Amino acid sequence: MKLGLVIDLDTCVGCHACATACKEWNGASAISGPLSDYEPYGAEPSGVWFNRVRHFEVGEYPASKTVNFPMSCLHCADAACVTVCPTGASYKREDGIVLVDQDKCMGCNLCAWACPYGARELDRASGTMKKCTLCVDRIHNDELPEAERQPACVLACPAHARFFGDFDDPGSAVSRMSADRGGFGLLEELGYQPVNRYLPPRDPPEVARKAIAPDRDSAGGAGALQRLIDAAKRFAVR
Amino acid sequence: MKPALSVIFFTVASGAGLGLFAWLAAFDLFTLLRGTESAGMQPVSMARAALVAYVLVVAGLCASTLHLANKKNAWRSFTRFRSSWLSREAVFAVAFLVVALVYTALLVVDGRGALRWAAALVVLVLAVTVLVCTAMIYASLKPIRQWHTCWTPATYVVLGVWSGAVIARCLRFAAGTGIDGIPLALLTLGVAAAIVKLMYWRTIDGEAGSITMEQALGVSHGVGPPGSRPAPGGGATVMRARLLDTGHTHGTFLTDEFGFALARRRRGMLRAAFWIFAMAIPLAWLVLGPRDSAVAVVVAIACIGGLLAERWLFFAEARHTVRLFHGDART
Repeated sequence: MKLGLVIDLDTCVGCHACATACKEWNGASAISGPLSDYEPYGAEPSGVWFNRVRHFEVGEYPASKTVNFPMSCLHCADAACVTVCPTGASYKREDGIVLVDQDKCMGCNLCAWACPYGARELDRASGTMKKCTLCVDRIHNDELPEAERQPACVLACPAHARFFGDFDDPGSAVSRMSADRGGFGLLEELGYQPVNRYLPPRDPPEVARKAIAPDRDSAGGAGALQRLIDAAKRFAVR
Repeated sequence: MKPALSVIFFTVASGAGLGLFAWLAAFDLFTLLRGTESAGMQPVSMARAALVAYVLVVAGLCASTLHLANKKNAWRSFTRFRSSWLSREAVFAVAFLVVALVYTALLVVDGRGALRWAAALVVLVLAVTVLVCTAMIYASLKPIRQWHTCWTPATYVVLGVWSGAVIARCLRFAAGTGIDGIPLALLTLGVAAAIVKLMYWRTIDGEAGSITMEQALGVSHGVGPPGSRPAPGGGATVMRARLLDTGHTHGTFLTDEFGFALARRRRGMLRAAFWIFAMAIPLAWLVLGPRDSAVAVVVAIACIGGLLAERWLFFAEARHTVRLFHGDART
């Protein structure tokens, strides 16, 4: 098994719901919790998070796009964090999930250095390394209704930009989605074979694109604008 | 990378101690091979230098545990010898400490014969092995291109032995203990150290192996506006990415650990400090040859000071790929 996530950069709206849902579930989890906060109500609030959303702009305005970029552990097939761990605290499960045994970790930070994605964060309170567990205590939890046996981030996402599944099964929803949409892994050139797939944004519909960049053959920008207004009128009449 | 003082002190102190042991053992083997013992190389004198080296190694190893956030599990670091360079370093360091103690005892009692030969040889091999293991902890990390180079282990070995050899000679003049070494061998070692460090800086100052923010975000996979995916026949326009927001209010573990920014001017000053204190001063002392004890002490302090600057830079100049997700254009 190769359990992991699909993250759709087309539909992600950058709301951080995945990050907060993750913090809520894993903070109370017996496997990784609590996730310490430092000065949560002070001037410089900080703390341990397994999932962080960053925001980028790609291209030059007006031909540019805002990209909301959620990042958590990619559960690499060849996980360098596990290789470098001197204590055996970091390990990879049969189902592909990379975990840290909190009872064995000595807090040397070497795994965090080996991870190119910044997926691991040291908890100052416990002195141990913590990371995304893919909600291992949800996805295999028989006490939860079957529909809820998914990572907290996936369930929380209001834009349906996150999906969970087995990438070893070519027929799984995540495998098919990734194949259809040109899903890719981050920094694959480093050779760690990250499992999570990111789906690039889809091209916008034709009409919107023409409004942004009108082609010379038609009536130009004014024509495109007129077409948009016409379309809006038709919609209003209906 | 954040320059952690405990690790900087560890690599410099242990490096010098291991280098001093390697230098003593190599010299011992050399004189044993020749079947002569020149004046001033009395085993007791060497044993005193070995004790200094022993203290340096142990002090360094103790300092290295200071950066562990959960020290009670430190003993577990001996358990992953097959995969982890840090584990290998721990195992070989303990093996070294045992053999080095035996070797020092043999020097004290002026032991002769096969046992001392064997001990000297094993000490030499283990000292270099520990230096290599320490360096490989860093050199094996692909996300940090300033470390992921063959010049990293070369630097650690050659600078460790160089500082050890300089200290051995300083001890000779300052305390009447230790060894002269063979001036020509010492000179060769110093020149080799300078060349290796020069090559290291030439390598990381280039852009080979550098990763861009666009690569990290997957712009070539189509992350961006329409047209960011390159056409199959090439001719793609280069789309630039920039950070709008990191998504956190204040710093995080990641910005603490990887966010260290080094000013260009400070970098130049520290590199100059290395060249002057760790290289030029000991080499000049070697060539000009003043045998004054005060000069020897100053040279030893200068050499260690220069190496502390060098090791601080080793961390400060290293740029992790995580920085690309925090706004750096390239590693």
